[in-house]
Amino acid sequence: MTAQTFAIFCFVAFLIPVPLLAWLDRPRAKNREAAKPPGPR
Amino acid sequence: MYAGHLAFGLAIKAKEPRAPTWAVLLGVGLLDLLFGPFVLLGIERVTMTPGVPPGFFLDYIDWSHSLAMSLVWAGLFGAAFLGRGRAVAMVLAFSVFSHFLLDVPMHPPDLALWPGSSIHLGFGLWKSMPVGYWWVELWTIALCCAYYWVRARRLGTFGGRAGWATTTVLVLHILNSPWLAPSH
Repeated sequence: MTAQTFAIFCFVAFLIPVPLLAWLDRPRAKNREAAKPPGPR
Repeated sequence: MYAGHLAFGLAIKAKEPRAPTWAVLLGVGLLDLLFGPFVLLGIERVTMTPGVPPGFFLDYIDWSHSLAMSLVWAGLFGAAFLGRGRAVAMVLAFSVFSHFLLDVPMHPPDLALWPGSSIHLGFGLWKSMPVGYWWVELWTIALCCAYYWVRARRLGTFGGRAGWATTTVLVLHILNSPWLAPSH
């Protein structure tokens, strides 16, 4: 692995899990209303 | 440290559920997200050391990872979220700075105080414990994930699939182990 490949690897390795973990972190359907931030709905 | 940062991000989310999950996770990884392009642009330097743990030597990472720049990136990142309230912005700023704090025990002394500083921080677990560091990080992950899981169960406003989220982080840690990581 070259330094450039390693740099791209680090970038991708931190980027890829973000949408996946954010999706897994979504509240269950029954709790979604309670999880919404306060304000006009 | 890799998965440990993500686990710490989940713990931060558990502490401040109003913070957007994607922003917290981007925050904990921001310094490494900057490091990649900085290396490609020639602003920072890394040398690969196959067979010598951890498989690379970070020659110069002052613009992404120094103490002063970590605080700068944290401030800028937090400021971008001031519209969501001061508390959320502060938490997101801390998520960025947490990367530096967690890197200090792992890195050899390559974390400068500021760009160009001759003083570097880092306790060097990567080098002094070429395999043991992985177990230390695993304990960090376990503690953070346990906190996240318990809070998710208690509050219910996040972590709908907390078990899968923590499993994902654990799998990433295994993939980044001294036995499997492509950089080793």
